[in-house]
This record gives sequence, structure tokens and C-alpha cells, in this order.
Amino acid sequence: MAGIFVFSEDKALSEQLLTPALELKKTLSEPITALALTDADAKELAALGADKVVLLEAASSWTEGLSEAIYSIFSGAGGSVFLVGGTLRGKHVAAYVAAKLNAGMITDAKSLKIEGGKLVSTRLLYAGLALSEEEVTLPAVVTIPPRTFLAPSAATNAGTVETVKADSDTQVAISDVTPLGGSGVDVSAATRLVSVGRGFRKREDLKLAEDLAAVLKAELGCSRPVAEDEHWLPIDHYIGISGHTVKPELYLAVGISGQVQHVVGARESKVIVAVNSDEHAPIFEAADYGIVGDLYEVLPLLTAAVKK
Amino acid sequence: MPKCLVCYKWTLDEKDIKIKPADSSLDTARAKGKISDFDRNAIEEAALLVEKQGGAVHALTYGTSAVKQSLKDVLSRGPEKVYWIADASADAADACVTANVLAAAIRKLGSYDLILCGEGSSDVFNRQTAVRLAALLSLPCVTYVEKLSIEGDTVKATRKLDEGSEVATVKGPVVVSVLGQINKPRIPSLKQVLAASKKPNEEIKITDLGLKPESLQPKSVHRSVKGFVTKRKNIIYKESSAATNVAKLTSSLAAEGLR
Amino acid sequence: MNFQLTEEQQLIEQSARDFAKEFLDPIAVQLDYTGEFPKAVIAELANHDFLGLHLPAEAGGAGAGFVSYVAVIESLSRSSAAVTSIINNQAMASYAIQTWGSDAQKKQYVRAFIKGETIGAFAVCENGPTTGIGPDALNATKTEDGYVLKGTKAYVRNAGEAGVYVVFAVTDAADPNALTAFVVDASAAGLKVGPRLNTMGLKGCPVAHVVFDDVKVPETAVLGSLKAGREIATRVLALASVAEAAQTVGIGQAAVEHAAAYAKQRVQFGKPIATLQAIQTLLAEAATDCYLARLALRAAAQLVEDGKPFEAEAAIVKSFLARLGSKILVDSCQVEGGMGFSESMPLPRLFRDIAGTTLLDSPADFPDYAIAASIA
Repeated sequence: MAGIFVFSEDKALSEQLLTPALELKKTLSEPITALALTDADAKELAALGADKVVLLEAASSWTEGLSEAIYSIFSGAGGSVFLVGGTLRGKHVAAYVAAKLNAGMITDAKSLKIEGGKLVSTRLLYAGLALSEEEVTLPAVVTIPPRTFLAPSAATNAGTVETVKADSDTQVAISDVTPLGGSGVDVSAATRLVSVGRGFRKREDLKLAEDLAAVLKAELGCSRPVAEDEHWLPIDHYIGISGHTVKPELYLAVGISGQVQHVVGARESKVIVAVNSDEHAPIFEAADYGIVGDLYEVLPLLTAAVKK
Repeated sequence: MPKCLVCYKWTLDEKDIKIKPADSSLDTARAKGKISDFDRNAIEEAALLVEKQGGAVHALTYGTSAVKQSLKDVLSRGPEKVYWIADASADAADACVTANVLAAAIRKLGSYDLILCGEGSSDVFNRQTAVRLAALLSLPCVTYVEKLSIEGDTVKATRKLDEGSEVATVKGPVVVSVLGQINKPRIPSLKQVLAASKKPNEEIKITDLGLKPESLQPKSVHRSVKGFVTKRKNIIYKESSAATNVAKLTSSLAAEGLR
Repeated sequence: MNFQLTEEQQLIEQSARDFAKEFLDPIAVQLDYTGEFPKAVIAELANHDFLGLHLPAEAGGAGAGFVSYVAVIESLSRSSAAVTSIINNQAMASYAIQTWGSDAQKKQYVRAFIKGETIGAFAVCENGPTTGIGPDALNATKTEDGYVLKGTKAYVRNAGEAGVYVVFAVTDAADPNALTAFVVDASAAGLKVGPRLNTMGLKGCPVAHVVFDDVKVPETAVLGSLKAGREIATRVLALASVAEAAQTVGIGQAAVEHAAAYAKQRVQFGKPIATLQAIQTLLAEAATDCYLARLALRAAAQLVEDGKPFEAEAAIVKSFLARLGSKILVDSCQVEGGMGFSESMPLPRLFRDIAGTTLLDSPADFPDYAIAASIA
């Protein structure tokens, strides 16, 4: 068995996967093969540390339809670890490959390493309540969420690129591809976030948060009710268990009570600050710093103080 | 008149699980069982389809002997029959083993137009079972479905993905995994609860599935499970003057290098 | 001997909990504030078969036993005892008609009760010293083709919303203790529902006096048989007292849980108050009372289900809760202190509601009298 494989249909994510791949290479001493879907991806991956890049040439661009082809390449090469970008499409492809290999698969790994010839990984269980450490026999498939790792810096020697024809699935017809209507802002990429909750009485009042976000150079995020029930912010700004998980250096929760379904999306932020009028709000337990007070009074004062 | 099979898991209710302060291990002693959240959506979706178009809904589950507690519950939610496999192997079963067992059972049960699963189980949320089942049974698979319809033998599903949505159309039989937002499971009426006792349930012995011992060997094994405990500074400013609080916060933020 | 609910009873109880969470929690506060009869909730209760829970399957009910019934009432009462008051009072009427009614009466009303199309009321109380005696007592004077009812029934729950009243009247002036039960349609001429009383609690369950101003009813309006009324009332009120005890336990449980959750996160003197002994004592006693009351309640309900005598046991439960029901609330309020005193918190409403379920509807014999009679 040989070969650390990486794949994601998302270019940035596939580059990020090279970082843990390079780490595994140190222990496994096996070459890294990256699978790519476009020429540009292929060249970049080759430059960032992939020893070999296989550029898949397929009739259809539907990622999931390439599962069988991807499996053939991995199993044909006798790969030992397959790192797949943990987008929803990626998880689908990864599970297919794992099933055909009769191999174990870790979903949404937070960390991974090789120990005693097995892949050891940590990930969350019970809706974020617990952290589990698992060991998987090789060959193993792992999906890694976006932004778990940073892309590596350029490698000394670029890898080779080989183009391969790939058959895509012919059974499923895809139509009506509709992009998510959103602001185009990716809250999960923001380094600072001001997050708003039900403590705000009406949509216009969000301006207080917007002003603060502007001086802090932060993006706006929100709790689920603000997006889903009130529609004050687009759904892709919602942070929580079924929304985004964020890890900014500063997460400022304003008027958010701090239910676990929300907190789990933000609890790995470097510094968490909460502003809430209810001193018993659970958010304070999850925060490094907090102010008990009326956000209508606190926010303008805070904005002015930060501006100075 | 689709013949549907819903695969479900009987899980521990995570809201009853406590973290032991001494060593952060999990205390599941008081945790009650429940049908995994998204599996409930899958059951409801099948029930709705069959209510509208006729057909049948069967349910299938693999777990420890605890699954017996799930039978009346699942039968009160629409399915006319439930098949169950109770075996100690389920305790350590990973997604690989689970899929092997379920696929072997499905091969035994005959053909279905639609096999439904929840997106992932509420305890481990692997999100692998549906795809693995489809791969093992050589069936097409449509995942992350938020809207589902079936006409004749054609399945049409709207998928919700990270970047947007798309519609997948495919001829059955098909394996589908559904998202929580696909429907809101109805609360069973009392008549449905009482009628559940009269519906049939059938045990499938794992030894009758013809599985090789390797198929029951998990490939991933837990080394440890610990409660995720966040240690935060919890420095809360609650002076009567908002200005004072703000001043204290800004100097704390400066100290953290966040100005 | 098994103190646990059966699997089926547990599923029924869970359905009730889920129902309460989805349909009662969102409206409980508003209902208490406006007192407006919750028609939409009644319709949902009917859809989920809660209104026919105790009625036999042949009649269109769910045919669940009395233990299931009290488990449902307790679960729903944790969210809104006002709604369960409506259910209980309806159940008194529907049970009476199903058990003693003629085929015609059953056909006219039972299915309508189950579907939530007709609300039922059960009117025994009067303003006089006891039912049947006093100037306003309801009298039924025999006529050629039926009876004429005259008098006033007091504190009738579900009054005004009810489509039918099961009432108890004196048919023989020489024998005022012998009551006869009648099924009277709300549309009967001369039946006047007085203004709604503004009650201390259980707001949402309407209460009013009902005046019978020469209301003519046919012979066929008699429920059961002539002078069988006292037997009917005694039986129904005894069952109702167990059902009401279930409401009390539900309210108490909600109070204890809320106070306990509050105590765990309310920090005073540097620690959650749940760590203070005084608070622990209050919570422990309240939890103990709820637990014991529930066990006794279910034991009494099991006797009902088994067709065994249960009146003494029901009286014990009633007496226990009469003494301790309000204590549970007072202690929970003590735990929550100033914060809990606000009407935006649930305890004030629970406090007022438990007053309703522990003080009202005493059987004609006071509970302790009944208990003493059973042992001495």
C-alpha cells in the first residue's frame, strides 16, 4: 500500500489538505498524490507540495458522479490514506470510496496523525458535546472541514501533472443548479465577527452592530432566529450547529443568550466577548469577557471607545 | 405506489448526557433513547409520500438489544412493519460494519423503490451510511435532500449543498439521505400510538445474514471520548455605569492584542 | 408490582409532552393574560386524539386507560393547567354521557366531543348550602312531555363555550337529596350563561353561573334514570378529583424544575444558590412532594383502571395535595426570590393555577372525612 491522496472540488480546500498530507508523509514516507478537476488547480497543487497530480478529465462536472473514477485511481495505486475536503459533496465522494474499499472513514477530523501504523484522529460527537479520539486501520478515508488547516507554502520542487480520462456517473441527471442567494460574505473566513441575536428589537437597530463591526473591521454574523425567523440577515450569516462554525480571533456576541446550538459554532474563537442585559444568560459562561448591560447603551459607547 | 424502506438508528439523547467534572468523561446513565433526529425526518418523509400516493413503508434498524425500545415508537410514526437486528456487535460497530449489516439485511428483504436514511445520526453524525449502503447495493445515491418526490419509478430530489441547491433526477431504486429541513415530523396521535402495538415487527438474526467475520470487524475504534469543556476567562463587567464597563472591556481587549 | 408506566403508556406520555411543547408552551402565557378560550388548541387536541383518550374505541375514542389519562393530564398541565381544566371538564361530560347515556344521547354528543366539535360542561355546584337545597337550587318539574328546569348552577367550567351541559336537578321536592341528571343542549331556550368570572388562575378555562329560566327539556334528556343523579355525580366527581390531582402534580413539577434550573445558574455570594443548604432543602422537599404525589396518583388511577374501589385512595391523594400543592409553589417562589416574582417568569401563573386545582371541586365529603371513614 502506498500513497497519501488528497482531493477536494474546492480549490482552496484542496490546497489546505496538503498541509496535513505533508505531515503524514513525514511518518508514512509515502508520496502525495492530489486529484484535481481543473488545470489551474493541478498546477497549484503541484507547486504546493503534491508529488504527483492527477488531473481528471470528465464529461460531467458533477463531483459526486466522479466517485467511482476517484475510487479506481486510489485503489489502483494502493493508496493508504485519502484526505477529502469536507464539503457536503466531498463527504459523499469520500463515503463512496470508503465503502468500496471496505475501509474506515473519519468525518470532519479536527486533527490527524499516524501512530502504530494506524491513523489516529479526533472529532466531535453528540452535537459538539464530546470530543472523541479514534484509530483507523489503513487504508483510511478522512474528510477535513474547510479552514482546519492553512495551505502550505510553495514546495522546493514542483510535482508532476498527469491527465487521466475519468468516467462520470450516467444514472443521475442534475438540473436547476441554483447558487445560494447571499451577501457573498463568508462569515467563516472572517477574522473578527460581531454576532447579533434576539436582544435587538428590530432590524433597523442592527445598525448599532454594523457601526461597531465597521470600526473593529469585523463581519456580521447572527444567531439562528435572526436569520431564519426574523430574516434580518441572510441565512449564510448564521452561526451555529446547523450553520457556520467560525474561529475568528474575536467573536463578539451581542444580545445572544448563548444556547449550546449557537455556541458550538463559535466556541473555538480565540477571544469571545458577550454583551447581554441578562446576567444569567448562558453566553457569559462561554465568554472570556462580557458586559452586563443594555446593548442599546453599550454598543455606541463601545464603538466610540474603539474608534479612539 | 412506492415501496419505501427507512433505515433508522436508536441513539442516546445527547441532551441527557452529562460531563463528569472529575475527568471530563461522559455520564450516559440517565440518557434516554430516541430515534435519531434526522431519521425521524426520513420516516416522516416516507410516511407522507405513501399517504399521498399509496404504497408501503417498512423500517429497518441495527443496534444493541436496546433497539427493542424503538419498535412501538417507530410503528406509531407511519411504517407498517419494522425489521430489527439486535446484536452486541452494534456497540463497537463503525460506519463500515453498520453499512455491511444493513446492506446484507436489505438484500434479504427484497427490493424497495426508495431507501431512505437521515443525513447522519444525532450521536456521531458520520453522514456515511446512505452513501455506503448505495455503494454496497450498487444503487444510485442522492444525498442532502430537502425536497423529495417520486413519480412512477423516477425520483426527483432537491439537494441543498454548501454553495447552493440542485435537482437530481434518477430512476429508482435509489438510496436517499434527507436533511432535517425536509419536513417537520408530526407528533403521533394517541390512536397511532395505540395502533402501533398491533403492527408486526420481525427480528433478523445477524447470523442469518451470511456475513463474513471481517465484515463485522470495525475499522475505526474509539480510543477515548471526553466531554468538550471550554475553559474561558469568564471576566464579566457589571458595574452600574455602562461607560465604566466599556472602558474595562476595551483595556482587556487591548491586553489581548485585539485593538 | 411495577411502578413504571408500560411501554405504551410511556409513548402516550411522550406524545403528550411533545404536544405540550409544540402547542401549549407557545400560548400558555398569552392564554393566562387574555383568558381567551383557545379554540385552535382544542382543535389540535382533537387531532391528536386527546379529547377521546379515555373513551372506548367503539365510540371513536382512543380507548386508553385511566393511567394513561392521568399521565397525559400531568404532562399537559406542566405547560398549561388552564387547557387541562378544559379537557377535564369536557371529559366529565363525555364520560357521563358515554357511561349512562341513551343511544340517542351518545350518538348526538360523544363523537362531537372527541372531534372537538362540541365542548362539554358538567354542572353540579350551586350557590346554596348544598346541591339541591336553597332558593336557587335547580329544580326539574315534570310536565306532560318532559321537564321544566328552573334554577341556577354556579361556577360551571367551560360555561359559555359548551354546546351541551350535563346538569343535576331535584325532581322530587320531598326528596331533595335525590338528584336526576339531564343532558341539556346549550341552545335550549331559557338557558342563560352569566358573565364570565374573572378567576384567580386557570385563566382560559371559562367559569360562569348558568341560569335555567324555565328551560323545557324532553323526557329523553334524562341521563341514566330518574334519581340516579347522585350516583352519577359521585362517581364522576371522584374520577375528576384524581384527574385534578394530576393537574396539581403537573403544575408542581413544572415549578420545581423551573426553580431548580434557576438555582443552578443564579449566582450569589460567588456561587450558584443551588449550593446553599437552605435552597437545597426547599427544592428537595418540593421534589419529594411531587414524586410521592405522582406515585399515589398513579396507584389510584390503576385502581380505577382495574375497576376496583378507589375513593379512599383518591381522597388520600387529594388531601396530600391540598396540603402540599401550594407549599410546592410557595417554596419554588422562595427559591426564585425577586426575579421569580415577575409575571414574565412562570411561577406567578403556576402559583395562581395550583390554587385552582387544589382548592376547588372538593367532593361532597371532605377528603379527610372519606379517608377516616375508610379506616375507622
